[in-house]
Amino acid sequence: MKVIACLRPVPDPASRLFVNDDRTWIKDAELGFVTNEADTHAMEAALELCEGGAASGSDPGEAVVLSIGRDRAARVLREGLAMGAARAIHVADDDVESGDEYVRARMIARAVEKDGGADVLLTGVQSDDLGGGVTGIMAAELLGWAHASVVVGIAATEAGLRVRRELEGGMIETRELATPCVLTIQLGINQPRYATLRGIMAAKKKEMKVWNPDDLGMASGDVGSEGALCRVMEVRAPERDHRVQMLSGSPAEAAARLVEKLRLEAKVI
Amino acid sequence: MILIVAEHADDRLKPINRELAVLGRELAVDFGRTLTVAILGRDPSSLIEQCRALGPDRIVTITDDRLEPYNPDAWTAAVEAVASEETPAFVLAGHTSTGYDFLPRVAARMGRPLVPSCIEWQRHGDRAVFTRPVFNAKMHMRVTTTGEGPCFVTAAPGAFPPREPDESGSGPPQDGGEPRLDTFDVDLSGLPVRSTRIGREAAATGTLDLGSADIIVAGGRGIQEKERFGLIDELAEALGGAVGASRPVVDSGWRPREYQIGSSGQTVSPRLYFAIGISGAVQHLVGMQSSRCIVAINKDADAPIFKVAHYGIVDDLFSVVPEITKTVRALKAGSPPAGGA
Ligand SMILES: Cc1cc2nc3c(=O)[nH]c(=O)nc-3n(C[C@H](O)[C@H](O)[C@H](O)COP(=O)(O)OP(=O)(O)OC[C@H]3O[C@@H](n4cnc5c(N)ncnc54)[C@H](O)[C@@H]3O)c2cc1C
Ligand SMILES: Nc1ncnc2c1ncn2[C@@H]1O[C@H](COP(=O)(O)O)[C@@H](O)[C@H]1O
Repeated sequence: MKVIACLRPVPDPASRLFVNDDRTWIKDAELGFVTNEADTHAMEAALELCEGGAASGSDPGEAVVLSIGRDRAARVLREGLAMGAARAIHVADDDVESGDEYVRARMIARAVEKDGGADVLLTGVQSDDLGGGVTGIMAAELLGWAHASVVVGIAATEAGLRVRRELEGGMIETRELATPCVLTIQLGINQPRYATLRGIMAAKKKEMKVWNPDDLGMASGDVGSEGALCRVMEVRAPERDHRVQMLSGSPAEAAARLVEKLRLEAKVI
Repeated sequence: MILIVAEHADDRLKPINRELAVLGRELAVDFGRTLTVAILGRDPSSLIEQCRALGPDRIVTITDDRLEPYNPDAWTAAVEAVASEETPAFVLAGHTSTGYDFLPRVAARMGRPLVPSCIEWQRHGDRAVFTRPVFNAKMHMRVTTTGEGPCFVTAAPGAFPPREPDESGSGPPQDGGEPRLDTFDVDLSGLPVRSTRIGREAAATGTLDLGSADIIVAGGRGIQEKERFGLIDELAEALGGAVGASRPVVDSGWRPREYQIGSSGQTVSPRLYFAIGISGAVQHLVGMQSSRCIVAINKDADAPIFKVAHYGIVDDLFSVVPEITKTVRALKAGSPPAGGA
């Protein structure tokens, strides 16, 4: 089974964020970047799917990692290789953040096709920065594949895959779907493994293809803000809601103030 | 026309439709359009009555066995057919496990813009500008759509609360006119069946019902490790309340699934809700934002949880929470609270 996992580099979630000068994104030049959390679970799921196939003797499987972006993308790909992916595909696009989900989904779909397709394409349920949760589903449509979103369990069957997907209110749906397909992977599905030192060393020798949008048949009008169907007007910090009363002081003082407010003002204790 | 794709399960329209109706009516009024609700299913006509309460100008039913139980391929085909033929200005669905599952497919198939997780909008010339939360709601991004043809929007649950029905009336919120009823035919017979629902069940096996708790003390990833979660239990015990958790706490195995509050867990609205070390992601907020009094304790003053909180303390939770527990205990024991102020 060939499984491709998409890895998105995102600013370290602990970063303090400031809007950039033209107010279209954040100032990210100085920030540390990490692999999007859900994508580490997608990566783990890819490895487990391949290992499962290998264990049953059916086929050794190949886990491939794919990322679009500048050098940060190459860095998260190297982490994926260190975790155990066989090879990587870097779609080198400096302007990736000016595009929208549609542009990135097209790139993912084209890259998968150029790489000869796959049995399963995995993405994270959503990115920690944009949080739309739609890129993988759009890629499924553009590839003409079936998909399941918010997946919390995967098992291989004769005909394809049996997956558990999360619905609202603590409900779980079980679906069977044919391969090739796209799954968007929810947190909590597995415990991503850590890269071992041996894995990190081995990663250096693994293949990393580098493709430009051109190589994917995407002209300048297809990428960046020109290719995007949504146009960013502004990024800004949300307005402060003045409803909240901030209680200051030492921990003991703040605690005392809070308890007094809860008792006498809100009358809830 | 503005088109809402209604969500339903077990013969009931889901609450999200009422929010879609708020957004849909706003767009319809501002752009001088009509509002249509489409119901897809085996027997959608049984939902027409419930649909009237949304106050649409028109209700369209699309009947096919393949549309129920929900199937993304069938819903994509049906919604694409209506959107292509009737060219609504906007097609709305919830940012829910149904809405965000099929709407991106329709948008990609038509090569038209999709705005996910919309929480607000404004008119800007002849276009709408939609706000979506980014960076886990620490920032807002305002986007507009390009080109001609339908634009697709998923609305974040909780973002467009329906107005309470006024005292006098039970009727539809708008002019009260009867909606026109229509059917729309699609041929789904050629659609390959490549995904099928096998079952649906509750994720948690436990029976913890947080819905009836008066006081909930919820802990999040800020607690950092399982062993330290006891600090949440202690405050809950002092207050005589229940313990809840955000999703990462459950995913990490610190507490069972039944403790999870949020879109994929329980929805609660206690008298008092403590959010401790919880950032306030949209999926958590929908599960607790209607609580009467919300207290947030977080070391990050920019954490979006403070947007819904009534009282906030910006500090290290490991120093503050034990102090609160101590103060509450002293209060309950009848002695004057220790500490400052
Ligand atoms: C489809 C879907 C469904 C989801 N369903 C749910 C759901 O039902 N419920 C849910 O909760 N989430 C849900 N999520 C996840 C959600 O998006 C967030 O990832 C999650 O709510 C974050 O949990 P958190 O606030 O505990 O963790 P984080 O976002 O990591 O926040 C931790 C917070 O702790 C603070 N902190 C850290 N250390 C300290 C300290 N020492 N003192 C004080 N503060 C500190 C940090 O400043 C931060 O704000 C869902 C996501 C998806 C995609
Ligand atoms: N630049 C990228 N490179 C690789 N994968 C990406 C990229 N952007 C998004 N994805 C994938 O799409 C998923 C959903 O992203 P989003 O639609 O932004 O929430 C992510 O979790 C990734 O798996």
